[in-house]
Amino acid sequence: MKNIFRHPEQSLAVKLSIVIGLLMVVGSFIFWYALLYKQKKDIMAIAVRYGNSFIDFTKQSTRYSMLTSQKEKTQVAIENLGTPEGVQRVRIFDHKGKIYFSTFKEDIGNFVDKSSIACKGCHLEPERSSKLLQSPEKWNFYKNNEGSTALKIVSEISNEPSCYNASCHMHSKYDKSLGFVEADLSLALLDKALFNQRLALTFYVFIFVVAVLASLGIINYKIVTNPVRELVRGMEKAAGGDLDSSVPIKSTDEIGELAQTFNSMIKDIKAARDQKERWTQTLEEEIAKKTEEIQKTQASLLQTEKLASLGRMAAGVAHEINNPLTGIVTFAHLLKNNVPPDSSEAEDLNVIIEQAERCAKIIKNLLTFAHATPSEKGEININDLLNRTIYMVKNQAKFHNIKFNINMGESPSITPGDATQFQQIFLNMFLNAVDAMNGRGTISVTTRKVIIDNQPFIEIEFTDTGSGIPEDIRGKLFEPFFTTKPVGQGTGLGLAVSHGIVKHYGGHIDVKSVVGKGTSFFVRLPASA
Amino acid sequence: MKKILVIDDEFIVRRSCEKTLIPMGYEVRLSSSGKEGLEILDKESFNLILLDLKMPDMDGIDVLKEIIEKWPGMKVIMITGYSTVETAVQALRLGAFNHIEKPFTPDILIAAVKEAFEQG
Repeated sequence: MKNIFRHPEQSLAVKLSIVIGLLMVVGSFIFWYALLYKQKKDIMAIAVRYGNSFIDFTKQSTRYSMLTSQKEKTQVAIENLGTPEGVQRVRIFDHKGKIYFSTFKEDIGNFVDKSSIACKGCHLEPERSSKLLQSPEKWNFYKNNEGSTALKIVSEISNEPSCYNASCHMHSKYDKSLGFVEADLSLALLDKALFNQRLALTFYVFIFVVAVLASLGIINYKIVTNPVRELVRGMEKAAGGDLDSSVPIKSTDEIGELAQTFNSMIKDIKAARDQKERWTQTLEEEIAKKTEEIQKTQASLLQTEKLASLGRMAAGVAHEINNPLTGIVTFAHLLKNNVPPDSSEAEDLNVIIEQAERCAKIIKNLLTFAHATPSEKGEININDLLNRTIYMVKNQAKFHNIKFNINMGESPSITPGDATQFQQIFLNMFLNAVDAMNGRGTISVTTRKVIIDNQPFIEIEFTDTGSGIPEDIRGKLFEPFFTTKPVGQGTGLGLAVSHGIVKHYGGHIDVKSVVGKGTSFFVRLPASA
Repeated sequence: MKKILVIDDEFIVRRSCEKTLIPMGYEVRLSSSGKEGLEILDKESFNLILLDLKMPDMDGIDVLKEIIEKWPGMKVIMITGYSTVETAVQALRLGAFNHIEKPFTPDILIAAVKEAFEQG
């Protein structure tokens, strides 16, 4: 609406109203003019008819006095005829224009105005020729001295036997025309009536035009401006991103059709946008997933690379150290043979031998870690191997205060691999558990079959009731030489080696831990079938 | 007297073998490389050879192959520095009698040597 007031020339309704209004005004004017013209013409025709009646009445009124040649009586009759309202003048004159009788006595004897309809009605040139016109004009309208319309009507008094046979012998038998009766009748009353009618008609037409224009404006506003405004509002909303709203136009006309088309278009756009959003979301999720995978792979690669280079280095170091260790062990033994068995020297030599053997053990672990140690692959029954390992550790002093809670899966857990290597993993798990529990607590061992990425795995869960692993060091657990044990007690290779072995077989180790409650290690090895 | 040839690039290993085996009554010759060992073998005869698997100039496996080819039936004990079962198995398949892992104790060495002679 504000638009209409601000820029009326831009409003469709205003434009339409102006065009239709102009057409209406022009049409109404033509109608008004035609009506008035016809009315006037009809009224004038009636006036002429009454005029002719008046002439005939005049002729009848004066007939007797004329036949009897009583001039005074005729004059009195004429004067009487001039008395009613609207009769201005009545005259009788001969064909030369000489006036014999008139409502105004002073006219008698004078000649009529030769340029008036009295002469010109029949003669083209009254002064020169007596030649008659083909169709004589016997009446005309003119403006009288008062400014109102007047009718001048002239009628011939024809010769007839009673005239030329009259005793006065005024007219011969051969006279065609005996004279003329002329009446001037005022139409002031008709003028007034016509004026009033014209005024009323003008008023009616004006009211009609105004009413039609107002109705048009309202209708235009209702069926054009208002729906268009709704449509514009809807479009602005849609352009602003609100695709949930629709244009509430229910009409079946072109605007309704436009609104419906617009609504279905918005619906389509919304559907397309939603789909796009879904795609975008899916894509984002995919990207996040892939990124995570890549990061995992990168981390794994980095770890593998780290372990591989460390393994190569360890293998080299091991090779070099084994030679001097051989010397140390051999010569310590040789020396021991030369001293008494219970001497303090023999004890010292034993320490040398023990420590050298410890070195050898570390090196062996390093080599295992570097996958340098061979593995003869075979089908391993994990449950059996676990039971054997548990039996073995139970007899060790370290495990005397440990309760084992064993829960083996029913199906035989078979996986291809090296029993020694797997046993090493289990031993590492038990040793770590005992250390975490300070030699007192429960170790739960559970085996089960799990499916990961459609691949069957054997999962071995080792849960202790120990101190737990703080979160900040969980990431370092599998790094070589990382240990929380006192110096001299741990090599920091147990979990690294276990991890290396499990990785080698295509499995993995997970850890869950609650500080103060305990730790669970999940060793997952691919099952054979 | 049984004659034993020790082929190892490491002095301390050769010396350990010597110090362990001589008191047991064996005659021991030492060689620091495969090439030298083969030359010695050309000149003298031995009852047993202790052969290092990994040496700089010539790989123990290659030396073993040549020994078995030239002196079929010769007893060879492989000394594996950092052993892999694959190479040990390979050595045994090629004809080596046994293998011992470094670091070894005098007892292990003596046991292996005795075993070789007992079976022969």
